[in-house]
Parts: sequence; C-alpha cells; structure tokens
Amino acid sequence: MWAYAARRIVIGVMLLLALSLVTFVLFFASPADQARHACGKQCTDEQIAVTEKALGYDKPVLVQWGTFVKGMVTGREFPADPELKKTHPEFITTCDRPCLGYSKTNGVTVNSLIGEAAPISISLAVVAVVIWLVFGVILGIIAAVTKGTIMDRGIVGLTLIIYAFPTFFIGVFFLKFVVVKWGLLSYPQYLSIAEGGVGGWLTNLFLPAFTLALVYLASYVRMTRAFVLESLGEDYIRTARSKGLNSRTVLFKHALRAALTPLVTMTGIDFAGLLGGAIITEQVFAYNGIGKLTVDSANAWDLPTIIGIVVLAGSFVILANIIVDICYALIDPRVRLG
Amino acid sequence: MSGSTGQKLGGETAQAVVDTAAPSTEVASKSPMQLAAGRLRKDKLTLVSLVVVLLFVLAAITAPLAVHFGWIDPLKSALNLTDEFGRPKDKWGGMSMDHPLGIEPGTGRDTMARLWSGVAFSLFIALSATMIAMVLGVVLGIVSGAAGGWIDAIIGRVIDLTLAFPLTLMLLALASTGLIMVEKYLHTPKGNPTAAVYVIVVLGLFGWTGIARIVRGQVLSLREREFVHASTMMGASKFRLYFREILPNLWAPILVTFTLMMPAFVSAEAALAYLGVGVNAPTPTLGNILNESISYADVVPTFFFIPGFTIAAIVVSFNLLGDGIRDALDPKGHQ
Amino acid sequence: MGKKLKRALAASSALALSLGLVACGGDSGGGGSANNDPGVKGGTLNYLQSFLYESSDPQRIYYGVQLAQWRRTVYRGLVAFPMSEDPVEGTTPVADLATDTGTASEGGKVWKFTLKDGVKWEDGTDITCEDVQYGTSRVFANDVIIGGPNYTLSYIDVKDYPGPYKATPAQQAAFEKAVSCDGKTVTFHFNKPWADFNQAAAGMMMVDPYKKSFDQGDRSKWKVLSNGPYKVEGGNWDKNKGATLVRNENYDPATDNPDQLRKALPDKINWVINGSDTAGELFNDRLIQDAGEDQYAITSARVTPQQLPKVTQEPVKSRYLNVVSPFTDYLVFNHKKLTDPKIREALAVSVNTEGYIKANGGDLVMEHADSIVNPGTAGYKANDAFKGVTDGSGDPEAAKALLKEAGVKMPYAIKLSYPKTPTADKSMAILQESWNKAGFKVTLDGQGDTYYDVIAQPDKDSDLMWAGWGSDWPSMMTVIPPLFDSRPNISKTTCGNDYGCYESDELNAIIDEAANAANVEDQQAKMQEADAFLGSEYAYIPLDNQKFNWLRGSKVTGFTTTPASSSYPELGLIGVSQK
Repeated sequence: MWAYAARRIVIGVMLLLALSLVTFVLFFASPADQARHACGKQCTDEQIAVTEKALGYDKPVLVQWGTFVKGMVTGREFPADPELKKTHPEFITTCDRPCLGYSKTNGVTVNSLIGEAAPISISLAVVAVVIWLVFGVILGIIAAVTKGTIMDRGIVGLTLIIYAFPTFFIGVFFLKFVVVKWGLLSYPQYLSIAEGGVGGWLTNLFLPAFTLALVYLASYVRMTRAFVLESLGEDYIRTARSKGLNSRTVLFKHALRAALTPLVTMTGIDFAGLLGGAIITEQVFAYNGIGKLTVDSANAWDLPTIIGIVVLAGSFVILANIIVDICYALIDPRVRLG
Repeated sequence: MSGSTGQKLGGETAQAVVDTAAPSTEVASKSPMQLAAGRLRKDKLTLVSLVVVLLFVLAAITAPLAVHFGWIDPLKSALNLTDEFGRPKDKWGGMSMDHPLGIEPGTGRDTMARLWSGVAFSLFIALSATMIAMVLGVVLGIVSGAAGGWIDAIIGRVIDLTLAFPLTLMLLALASTGLIMVEKYLHTPKGNPTAAVYVIVVLGLFGWTGIARIVRGQVLSLREREFVHASTMMGASKFRLYFREILPNLWAPILVTFTLMMPAFVSAEAALAYLGVGVNAPTPTLGNILNESISYADVVPTFFFIPGFTIAAIVVSFNLLGDGIRDALDPKGHQ
Repeated sequence: MGKKLKRALAASSALALSLGLVACGGDSGGGGSANNDPGVKGGTLNYLQSFLYESSDPQRIYYGVQLAQWRRTVYRGLVAFPMSEDPVEGTTPVADLATDTGTASEGGKVWKFTLKDGVKWEDGTDITCEDVQYGTSRVFANDVIIGGPNYTLSYIDVKDYPGPYKATPAQQAAFEKAVSCDGKTVTFHFNKPWADFNQAAAGMMMVDPYKKSFDQGDRSKWKVLSNGPYKVEGGNWDKNKGATLVRNENYDPATDNPDQLRKALPDKINWVINGSDTAGELFNDRLIQDAGEDQYAITSARVTPQQLPKVTQEPVKSRYLNVVSPFTDYLVFNHKKLTDPKIREALAVSVNTEGYIKANGGDLVMEHADSIVNPGTAGYKANDAFKGVTDGSGDPEAAKALLKEAGVKMPYAIKLSYPKTPTADKSMAILQESWNKAGFKVTLDGQGDTYYDVIAQPDKDSDLMWAGWGSDWPSMMTVIPPLFDSRPNISKTTCGNDYGCYESDELNAIIDEAANAANVEDQQAKMQEADAFLGSEYAYIPLDNQKFNWLRGSKVTGFTTTPASSSYPELGLIGVSQK
C-alpha cells in the first residue's frame, strides 16, 4: 500500500514538473515584449534592457524554469539582486516556499495574490458543490424511483436544458433581469465571513454559486439516477427486497450507499478543478477570485501570475486524483494491480 | 468553464459506454446495427432530436449558399433602422417581414442572417475540433491498449498531464502566443483563418483524452477475443491488425462520443468568445453573436434571448441524440 | 504609448493615462448641466471607480485621471493646474508646494522652484528640497521603479545615472549637481530647453517630492505618504478594493490655495474599486436608482451607450452631464505599406465616420473630428484636408476614381487593426462595409490588450490602425510631434507612438521651427502648418472626439469637469449636501 501511494506521489510530482515546464516553454514564445511593456513610454533600448534584466526575462527559458522550481522548494527573494540587497535590504520582498513567483504588475508575490483571491474561489466552490450535490442527489433519486414517468423525464430534461445554456448567458440573465430589472435579489458582492458574517457571506454567494452549480447539476442528476438504478438492479438489493424490507429502507440503506463512492469521487475531482478558479462565473459576477485573477493577468500579460495559477490549478487536479486513487486502493486492493 | 465541464459531461456519459457498448457487438443473430436501428425507431424523443440536429446541419450546409446567392447578408448594416441611441426603431428588437428575428442594435444587421451563418461557423469549428480529438484519441487509445508496457504508461501520463491543465485558462492566456505559433507552423492566412485554427487545434488537443481512454479499454477487452488471436497466428503486423480488426468494432463508442463532443465544443466556442478569444468580428459565430448581445440584454431582450436559445437548442438536441444512440446500442444500460 | 487602458474605462479610447488638459466642461451636447452649488464642508463622498490603478507611488502613476484626482487629494506638486473650467486658465499652472510657478533661465534649460514654509508630510515632518531631489532621482532606477512617465530621463543633464539605489558616490554627486538644492530652493538643469516644464510638473508626478526614509523600492508600490488634505487610512492602497481617504491633520490649508487647487469639502472619501468589465455599467445603474449611500456617490465610469436612453430623461437627466473629452480617435496609415498617397486619399474620402459614430452609440458618445488635434487644445484649427471630407458617410465613387488613377487592381486589400471590444467590432465592421463598396477589400484585425505594442512594431502587416490620443500637457506640441516626428519615435525595434512609421524631413523641419518659436502664437501657427502638411499627405484620418457622459448622486454638490481633470469629474470641487 505504502509503495503504491509513494509511486503515485512521485508520478504526481513529475507531472507537476512537466506541467510547469510546458507552461514556461509555451509562454516563452510570447510575442509581447514584456520588458518594454513594463518600462514605459519613453524608454530607450538601454533602459528596456535594464528592465528586462531586472525582471529576469533575459535568461534562457530553462534557467527561468529552474529558478522557478528551486523557488518552489527553497523560496525566493525579489528582486534577486545581491547588490540592491546589500545597500537597501528593506527593498527586498521575500517569498517563502513554495514560492510561485513575483508579479511585477502588482508589486507583490504571486503567493499573496493567490492568497487574497483563494478564499473567494474556495467559498464559491464550496457553496456551489453543496448546491449541486443537494439538488443533484435529491433530483437524481426522485428521477430513479419514478423511472420512465413524466417526473423522471422532466427532471432529466430540464437539467439538461439548463446545462445547455452558456454559463455567461445564465449569469448575465440573473444579473440583468433577476437583480437589476426585476429587483428580486440584491446585487451580489463578495463579503468575507469576517465582514458580513455567515449570513452576508452566503446571501452574496448564492447567485454566483447557483449559476456555477447549474453547470454541474445535469451530470450529477444523471449520475445519481444511473447509480441508484444500477444498484437497485443488483442481486443483493433484490434479495433485500425479497426478504420483505420496505422499499425506502432498501433505497437509502443499500442503493444509495453503493452510489455514494462514485459520487464522492466525482465531487472531489470537480471541486479540485474549481479551486483553480471559475473563470466565467467570477468574470460575470465580478468576484475577485482566482478565475478573475487569471483573466486580469492574461490581459496585463502578467506572466509570473499566469504561470503560478496554472501550476497551482494543475496541482489541485493532480492531488485530487492521487487522493482518489489511494482511497480506491484502500477500499479495493485489486486496484493496485491495475 | 462550460467548455471544460462540457467536455467532462461528454466524457463521463461516454465512459459509461465502455462496459455497455462492447457486449452489444456479441449478439449473433441480427447485426447490432439493425438491432439498434430498430430500437431507435421506437424512441420518439431521439427521433425528434435527430430531426432537430439534421435541421441545424442543413442550416450549416446551406448558409454559405444562402450568402453566395445573396438571400442573406450577415454583414449588411442598416443604420436607418436604429434610433439615435442605436436601438431598433421597431418593436420586438426590430422584427419585421424583412427581419423576422429582428436586427442588431447599433448596426442594424439582420439577426436571422447572422444566426444562420453563425450556426455554420460554430458547427464547423466544433466539427473540426471533434475530428482532431477523435483521430488523436482513437489512434493513441489503440496504440496505448495494443502496445501496452511503457508506451501505454507514457500515454497514460500524457493523458494525466493534459487533464491537469486548466483548459479555459490555457486558451485564454495562450491566445496571443498561440495565434503566432499557428501562423508560423501551420502557414494559415492571417486573421480569422488563424484564429479559427487556433481554437480548433487547442480544443482538439485538450479534448482527446476521454475517447482515448474508452478506446484503450475496448482494445484491452477485444484483445482477448478469438478473431484477434486468429489474426495474430496468421502473422499480421500487430498495429495493422489492431487498426484493421479492432477499429470496426469501435464504431459504437466513437459515434456516441462524437455526438456528445459536438455540443460541448459549441458551448466552448461561446464561452471563449465571451472571454475575447476566437474568431474575430464581424464574422458571426454563435459565441460572437451572443457576446455582442449581452450589453443589450435588458434594452433589447429579444436580441439577447434568441442566440442564447439557439445555442441551447443545439446542445440539447445533440445530447439527446447521443443519449438515444447509446441507449439504442445498449438496451440493458443504465437508463 | 506603451500602456493600455482598461476596457472598462473606455469603450473605444485607448489612452487615459495621458493627462488631456484641454477640453472644456459643460458642453450642452445631450442636455444636463454642471452643478455648481458651492457646497459645504463635511460628510462622506463615495467615489466609485471601475478600473484598477497601476500603482500609488507618485513616480509611477500614469493614468491621467489618477494624476488629476490625486493632485487634489493626497499628492501636492511643486505646481498644479487650477480647477477652472476656462481652457486657458485651467491649463496654466499655479504655485502649490512652491512659492511661485518656477523661474526659467538660460532659454528654458534651468528651472528654479522654492518650497513654501510649513508644508509637511502626513507624519508631520517638513517637505524639504532634498525630498524633491530624491523623488526626481527615483525615476532613473529602471530596475526598481518600473513604469510611470519618464520624460525627465532625456532632459536632466546627467549621464549614466542608475538611480539613487545603485549610484556610486560620483554618479550621485553628478545627479545632485544636475538637480541641486540650496536651502529650500531646488534647481533643475536640463541638457536642452524645456519651455513648458512647469506644465509637465503640474500634470505629472515625476518631479514630486518623495521621502527617502519612506522608500522601500518595489515594496512602496502601494504605499501612500500623503502631503495633501487627505491621507489614506492605513497608509496602504488596496489595488482591488481601493481605500478610505480621511483628513490629514498635518495639512495646513494656509500653505495651500484651496479655492483654486483643492476645496477638500468632504471629511471622508470612500474610494471603492471594482475592476471588472461590468463594474462601470453597474455603478451607473446604481446612480440611476440613486438609493441610500449612492446619493452621495460619483463615478469615474462613463454611462454606457445602452444606459443613455434612461439617463437623458427626467428624473435622472438633472444629474447627468455630457462633455466633450480631450481624447481624439484617429486612423493612421502604415506608411511602409501604403506608400501611394492616392490610395490613402481614397480611403480618406470614402470613410464612413457617420456610421462609425452611430455604431459606437451615437452623438452623445462621439462627435466628428476634423483634425488629430482635439478642439479643446489651444491653437486648434480644423484641418482643411478633412473638413467636409471625412465627416460624412463617405464617397465610394470618388474613392474608386482615385484607385483607378493610382493604377491598382480593385478590390484593393487592406488590413485594419484595432483593440477588440464588442462595440469596436461593430463600428469597425461599418467602416469595413463602406470601404468594401469603394473598391477595397478590408480585413478586420481586432487585437487584445497588447495592441499598442503590436502596432508599434516596424514590421507589422496592418495597413491601417485605429488609435486614440489625449495630450500629456496642454499644447499642440504634445500632439503632432509625439505622433509623427520620426526622430524620437523610430528605432530598429519600434516605431514608438508613430504607429504608421511616418518619416518626413519636411514635417520634422516644421516641428523644429515650432519648437524654437519665440512665442506661443508663432508656435501655434507653425503647428497648424504641420497639421495642414499632414493633411495634404493624408498621413492619418481623424475619426471622432470622444464625449463623456457622467452621472452623480442627488446629494453631490459642485459637480463639474475641468481641463485639469481631463473632463472627468473634478474631485477638488465636489462636496456632499448635509441636508
């Protein structure tokens, strides 16, 4: 078991390295002259060269990548300028490990940028997961037990139709009609629990989280429905039924339990994906989460931030997969052979 | 986001095919095709969605002709139809006999003409991306399953790596670099061809993993079958064998995945247009049209709702069709 | 300009970092009026802002509207522009931290300012000549203080100075000779005449004082040490959220000129930032509703074209203001590709600016431009080459005739580049459509936020490029020379602000004559000659002068715009009603 876990983790780390390398190589082909962009309007070529050196963009891509990886392990200092550190130590920003880089555009470390944005994305993800799980599982069960009726078709069909609308269409619809035109809800603006209490936090999160949950709802309804139906068809359930257990007990005690493992797995992986930021939802609702940070840094061509987010988002996904695999291995030792 | 989840939905539902579609090839008396066709005929919902899908495909095919013969002109402005604020003068977003779906605020371009061509552009992008993903996925899936060993392991890791990249983020952040690389290495003409190719290639490059896994699974199970053993004994080259003998047995999961991937890519194109990535204006794609309409959502609601519902109709009909085909191929399945 | 403007800030303008100083307030274009209620001290003003600042460090600030608003609140300069609506008075500097507006000698190569007594930082310490010297020196440290305006680099008479952080004692001594201190008097020595240096000092903050002990290099990017009537609560500006400005108790109005420079009426200013693309529209939706705290609010986000039907009707109309801004949009030819003036002329005579303006939102959003020089600029004169030619829907037949004369095959292929927004997509499509009827085949090339970097490249393949300009200080000298003088712009790697890579010895000669002119009138006449020359060459096509549409809350007083505020709301005059 430990050997298996160790192997999965080693592979995960290697994947992460590959991910960051690919990202560096892709962005190094950038046509935008970052140094000129940063230096300003009247900069001469020499001044641009000074800026380029200060930003570290003069070094080959592999060296930049190596520095990045080293920073992940040991931390870094910005600017990496020993001369300046000697004369003006108070100018140096230290970036503790795992250091994701330094955003010149923002004048802070990528870690602190992400640290500021993360609570918003996490809040959004948590509330969205709760909404889609609650609605998804309940509707899925209803659809399964009413299989073939109008109710079943209605649930499956309606969630599919909602899924079919682009997320930004639904988000804009909520904002422009539900909020502005009809005034049914107040305009959502992120409040942390510290600022607005749990109530304020939740009220403001509801609309964006609901928009986000609608994207996932259809697949969770279908999944729940399918697993419940499948397990209802299994032999042991039939046995349980034939022994005279009432159908509610069978449903909740046996069928649901069987459906739980795959549901939890999927939720874990989807949740991990959302931690990397819900780009469109955050953009529509102007929530300064990681998704919004992504869009902003892509627009400002803030390379260190983009790379930091890619690596972070990728590591969430990789980590979630490792956890899921190891959990499976714990539950079912046969998996390890595969 | 709806792009990546879109794919996920496609992938998940299609993955169910792994364990269900294969047995259907075993039925001996009637060909599986005939059986499935028989079942499809009884499934009214799927037939309706098939008709809708065919209508959209027909619209896509006829759009270039309609433009060519001058029946519609998605680029023709009509500034006299809008008031001093750019709003359509007529009620209901400028609907009239000449403009049955109304006009675009500001320019007065005909919404029906733009939607009609938009369907063509969007389906073309989705189809091309799907083809790339399918070819990549099928080839790598077969190679992976057939070769086994370290090749299988490497392809497996590449799949993991691909899945770990945040797709929307990469598409967005890479756009300017990507466009230049596409232009340089694929020698596409500047402007919209390059932009279209970029979107197609990136969606395709990130979309192949699901089908590759399905195909790999199929290959693994087919490998044990008799006819494969028979061919091996006759000395056929291993890979030729897999492509020639196994590929025909894979049509069921391929068809289902194809039908489910198309709508996912239609959604993805729309999401990207919202983020400012993709084919340039004034070329109408469904994403461009919808993106232009959002600032008018409450001022000219018809202009906002019509493209939104068009996208939804495409996505729903393709998904229902895919579900229907899968059910038809696998009557004992989960549904 | 190497910088871009947030999409949210302007639907079509590309340039807000420049301080346009030239428009006049209170234009009656769409009705509405300036609200000149004198106002009373006290209360809390809410300032709603829909774009993010790049820094709060005076030497790094470059957004025009930020320079203007912060001059009124936290950063006083040696000199400053008064809050006058008059285009001449409003663009003439008055003394601020200095006792006068500066004395020039040696033909503008030496400038002298003396600091007032009793001017203090928010920590209570005196502002010294050395602070001015230090602030000026920071601009030179390109490796630490990255970004911001740096005109001073090419003027201050010092060689190879790396900024104060890494200078050797000899280098530092050389700098302190070029910018020297004698008691409270600071003297700037330039290597060439800088006749309007005090205007640059008023409009930008590159020679503002900076306290050495407060400096932490890049870590000071978001710190604020105020010397104005307000200070930033907590001392840090939150890039994504903004901050609260409260009274600075170490500010003494007796050292200031409150009536002309800053009335500082509200006790508190809540500066709320939301940088999303939809924020500007949302802020104006809130101002339309005028509920609760929003009654005490103003915004630097313009009313969107979609909202105009609502705001031009009562009850909102009385809180609405429409003004011509100092920003002019134009199309510039790539002179490396379109070398035949006949082809350029053909494009000019068939340009459909009427449709372009309509697609952008109509007459409340833009007016026709007939020169690249904004009408608010001193010495503005309509360009005869364009007047009556480029301000209609275009003449396709005339264009075809010109193309025939030029002997080129029709349709003639043209690539038109522009910064991509949904609105720009539509208005450019209108231009494309009418040019396609005039013998051209136009391809549209909408680009992302690095647009200005891309079109500055000498080897780009665009034929025609959209651009916007607002001058850095109030003179035609800040329009034509920076945009068309090839000498400062063109190098191996870039064409600078001369996006079309236009090179003309004849024009450069006129510019030199203007620069050496004995007085302002002669200089203006020469600049008019230069613009006429550009017109005869069809070097560019003027498109529009942008108009700004502003809303305010019902309890806001003194709401107007001035040349100094680039036609944004003039924060120095604004108060809130206590009733």
